[in-house]
Amino acid sequence: MSMQVKSIVAFALAAGLTFAVTPWLKSILADAKPTVQLNVDNASPRQVDDGVQRAIVRDYAAAWQSLGSALADNNAGGLQDDFIGFALDKLKQRIKDQQQSGLRTRIVDRGHKVDAIFYSLDGSAIELRDTVTLDTQVLDGDTVLHSDHAQIRYFVVMTGAEDRWKVRVLESAPE
Amino acid sequence: MSKLTIVAAVTVVSWLAPVRMHAAQIRLPEGAVAGQPMAISTTGQGQSQARLYLVGPAQVIQRRVQLGSDVQIKGEELRSAGRWIAILREGDRSSSQVFWVKPGAPENLNFLARPSRVPVARPRVISGVAFVFDRNQNLVLQPTPVKFSLSVGDASASQTVTSREGVAWVNSSSARRAGAAQFVAVAGETSVRRVVQQVASDPCNLRMHVAQHSTAGIVVETDPIRDCTGNPVPDGTIVTFIQTDSHGKSAVDARIKKGIARAQLPDSSSATITVASGVVLGNELHVGGGQ
Repeated sequence: MSMQVKSIVAFALAAGLTFAVTPWLKSILADAKPTVQLNVDNASPRQVDDGVQRAIVRDYAAAWQSLGSALADNNAGGLQDDFIGFALDKLKQRIKDQQQSGLRTRIVDRGHKVDAIFYSLDGSAIELRDTVTLDTQVLDGDTVLHSDHAQIRYFVVMTGAEDRWKVRVLESAPE
Repeated sequence: MSKLTIVAAVTVVSWLAPVRMHAAQIRLPEGAVAGQPMAISTTGQGQSQARLYLVGPAQVIQRRVQLGSDVQIKGEELRSAGRWIAILREGDRSSSQVFWVKPGAPENLNFLARPSRVPVARPRVISGVAFVFDRNQNLVLQPTPVKFSLSVGDASASQTVTSREGVAWVNSSSARRAGAAQFVAVAGETSVRRVVQQVASDPCNLRMHVAQHSTAGIVVETDPIRDCTGNPVPDGTIVTFIQTDSHGKSAVDARIKKGIARAQLPDSSSATITVASGVVLGNELHVGGGQ
């Protein structure tokens, strides 16, 4: 086989493989727990101990994972495990509206850099400032209506619930 | 590593590729505020019908629009602050734009006061945390003065704290007087009240005396039990009397009733009786044996 033919075959194989794995890769990225880097140096008035840090990282990552699934599938069923209060109400409304509009939102979460900025003296509430890198697509069926890649800042309030921390406020703000 | 990079790059390109160019355009106002009306203008032919989607953090607004005309969004429709995406769809073409909606003016407070019950005259034991929200429950990130006041009867103390990134907090001492303290947080026209029950602290100068001594036993009772600032220690608080003599040790746990605690101990010709409540020790009595 000539060098040229080999190159064409290799290119075709690579293109086919890319075509085949892209949906799979997208679903893997959407389903995986995102990475969360938490910095607690600026938390006040109380210091965040190691156990709480680990719990926040675990539960905040889980919240984003379930948020991604809920927005992509238009299914709010799993949100109450990770969200509570205003944040839960708002996300449920968003999903209801998406269903009525025939839209869904796919996000690929490329990681969070989180600063704890407030931790209450009684240890019941924590506020985080998160800089997250997201790829966002808004779809009507399989038609992509909007697509962007952005770094977005979120302010988050989490409160201690029965066996985990839940997101009570999730609000994006311009840098 | 390099293969992964290529796959990731191809994925990103495949994501971004479907957005069509040259569609009708949207013009969005800067400085949109949640709860306030907003006008969006579109470009294009006046006869063309298109669909406008506004995808927000907590809602999706959908409109049929005549290209080239303005779209009015009512204040009560635009409820959520944060990052929005406006999409104008005309047939199989679409254009989109990201815009931001700021929270409205402070109108709600989420006020956490802890603990609900606290001893009097303790430094920095009461914490108050106020999260500031607008009418639509968006966290108000603009600095907002929040006044915290704590009062029991005539005694009152207040402190104004400016919120940072939506939260303001104070750490107060409890008053010297027992009672239901009104802990109030005020931001603008909004105020939220919580009650912190301030209870007497540990007993102070715990003293007892023998009220009765007969063959049936020794009855001891305390003087009225108060804390160090003069508040009566609540009824029901446990006071322990311990009698030690040649037969050994007898202990009785008695509850304060109408301000005093009373116990009947076994008769003894020579005994030492002590009294305590929590970590506070009272006086010691010697009964019999010449006392």
